[in-house]
This record gives sequence, C-alpha cells and structure tokens, in this order.
Amino acid sequence: MKTAAVHLLLLLSLFLAGMNGNGQEPDEREELLQQREELNKKIETLRREQDFLLFEKVLYAADSKYLIINLGSRAGQLKYKNRVLKDFRFKASPKLAGSIGPGALTLTKKREDPGQRHVLVFGKSLVIQWKRPPRAPYQADVPSLSLSKTDLQSIFYALEEGAKAYILTR
Amino acid sequence: MQTAKKVIEIVLLLAFSFAAPSLAGALDAVAPDTTDELRAQVHAMEQDEAALEEENQGLRKMLKQIDDNEIYLVVDTESNRLTMRRGRKTLMTAVVGTGSRQFVQEETGRSWYFESPTGALKVLGKERNPVWIRPDWSYAEENMPVPPENDPDRIVRGVLGKYALILGNGYKIHGTKYTDLLGTHFTHGCISVGDKDLETLYRSVKIGTKVYIY
Repeated sequence: MKTAAVHLLLLLSLFLAGMNGNGQEPDEREELLQQREELNKKIETLRREQDFLLFEKVLYAADSKYLIINLGSRAGQLKYKNRVLKDFRFKASPKLAGSIGPGALTLTKKREDPGQRHVLVFGKSLVIQWKRPPRAPYQADVPSLSLSKTDLQSIFYALEEGAKAYILTR
Repeated sequence: MQTAKKVIEIVLLLAFSFAAPSLAGALDAVAPDTTDELRAQVHAMEQDEAALEEENQGLRKMLKQIDDNEIYLVVDTESNRLTMRRGRKTLMTAVVGTGSRQFVQEETGRSWYFESPTGALKVLGKERNPVWIRPDWSYAEENMPVPPENDPDRIVRGVLGKYALILGNGYKIHGTKYTDLLGTHFTHGCISVGDKDLETLYRSVKIGTKVYIY
C-alpha cells in the first residue's frame, strides 16, 4: 500500500514536470492569464464608458430631449443637450433585472389611452409607464419601469417618437 | 513471486516516466494559448487599453468643457414647476403658472391660443416694477373694443409683480396677483411666479441665462 502511494506520487510529479516544460514558465503563464483577465475587464469597462460618452456627445449636438436611466440607482434624468431638465425616480419590474444591458434605446411609440394612461415604448426592450396602472400593464412580457403620474406626464410630453434613452446598469 | 511483482512495477514506472513528459507536452500543444501567444495578447490588450483610455479622456474633457457651470432655468409646463439649476444641482424649485391652453376668438375672426412657448430660450432682459402693455387678446377676452396700438389705456401697472424676466415675443417670467392659481395652467403664455421665488430668480439670473421650457 505504501509502495503504491510512493509510486503514485512519483508518477504525478513526473507528469507535472512534463506539463511545465521548464521551471519558470508556469508562474509567468499564470501571471499573464491573470493580466489578460484583468485587461479584459478594464477594456470592457472603458468600451462601455466610451459608448456612453459618445452618446452624450452626439446628443449634445442634437436638438432632441433624451433620457438617462440608471437601473442601479433607480433614478433617471430627462436631458436636453448637456442640461438636466428633470430628475425622477422609478420602480423596476422584476423582469427588468438582468434582461436589459447598458446601451442606447429608441422610443418607438408613445401611447396615450383615453384614460390618461401614458406609456412610452422602447421597442421590445423597455416600457415606461405609470406606477399604478388602472388596468393590466401594457405589454406585460416586456421589462418595464414605473414612474409617478406627474413625472411620467412631464416626460411623456417632453419626448418625441425617435427620442433616445441610455441605460446605465450601475 | 514478490520479486517478479517488483520488477513489473519498476518497468511500468520507468515506461511512464519516459512517456509522461511527451504526453504533457502534447496536452500543452492543444492548450488555447502558448506562453508566447499570451505575452503577445497581453501586450496588444495593454495597447488597446491605453488607446481607449486616451480616447475617453479626450471625450470626458470635451464634455466637461461644455459644462459651463452657469445657472439655467427649466420650466415643466405639465407639472407647472420651475427649477433653477447649476450643473447637476437643483438650486430652487418653484410652483408656477403656465399657459391655459385655451382659445379666445374675436368677433372679427382673429383667434389666440394661450400656450407657453417651448424650447431653449434666453433671458433677454430684466425689469423692475414691470408695466403690462395690454395686448389685443386681453380686450377680446373681455369683449371690449380694442384701442389703438399706443393708447395709454393699454398701460397697466402693478399686475406683473415687482420683477420680470423678458423671454421675447411678449413672453415673460413675472409675478401674479392670482397666487392661488399657481400650480395650474392659467396664464396667457407667460410664466407666473410667486413673489418670493420671483425675487430669488431676479437676483440669481443674468441677461443671457438659458431658459428651457418643455
């Protein structure tokens, strides 16, 4: 039994020696892999930041109001160029978590029911509606944000179809 | 028997010792990245990161330069709120009155729609003790005959409060006697503000201050 264990250890060490090739490389390799992973994360963060900065740059030059929606802080802003016109807070539907990533969305439809029920539709990605809709939520399968009636009305009339929204996740 | 077993063990051990490095080498060869490739990848990524950081710095700087840190006013005509802001800070919020969104038609057929102007405007002038020059619609509204343009009857004092900020095209931010109506759509298009808020606004803004009405 003891001999078998010694043999097994011997075998393993020999096998690992073969894997290593030489004595110094594994440390460097491990370090490089770690470095690569860290760089990947940094580059991803910088790309996201750049995407947002470019969005702000483009919207600064445009004559259109737009939204910045921060899912992390559950707060949003209505903006025109570099000016904040309105701050608002919202509630997010359970479907929203993880279903929408950072990036720009386009307002595809403004829906106004006779019952003063305003809905802003951003394609199949997002719906912004009143906190307590009198009926079932519009497009229940789409992730949604709920705002107070006053905030929603202000934003509803400020934005035109085709307006942009940028989603931040933190 | 014991000796034979030992011999077999030693032979097997030796055979594996020779085979193991080649086997491991073969496994290394099918691994996704060799150390050299990894070094090259990391180097390229470091360059990408530096380039991105530099680009972002340029963009951040450009956007920061746009931020003039000046005071500006925002009027929300839906909720009848005026906010004075600087950068991302809200300095003041006031309950105001905005355009009634109603039509008035004169017997002659002339009509007016009382709506606050929207868009990016500027404070073009500041007045103390502003005087109201009654426009034609004011007479039409009361079914009164419209006097000539420079008729002294058009001059009305004391109805616009102590101060006014001129926005152009006859629109102003001014005071009101109808403070009970603040928070509603009741004006002829001007932005009506309570006395205290009006004084703060008058003291804080300068000619050229941007006014965003939506």
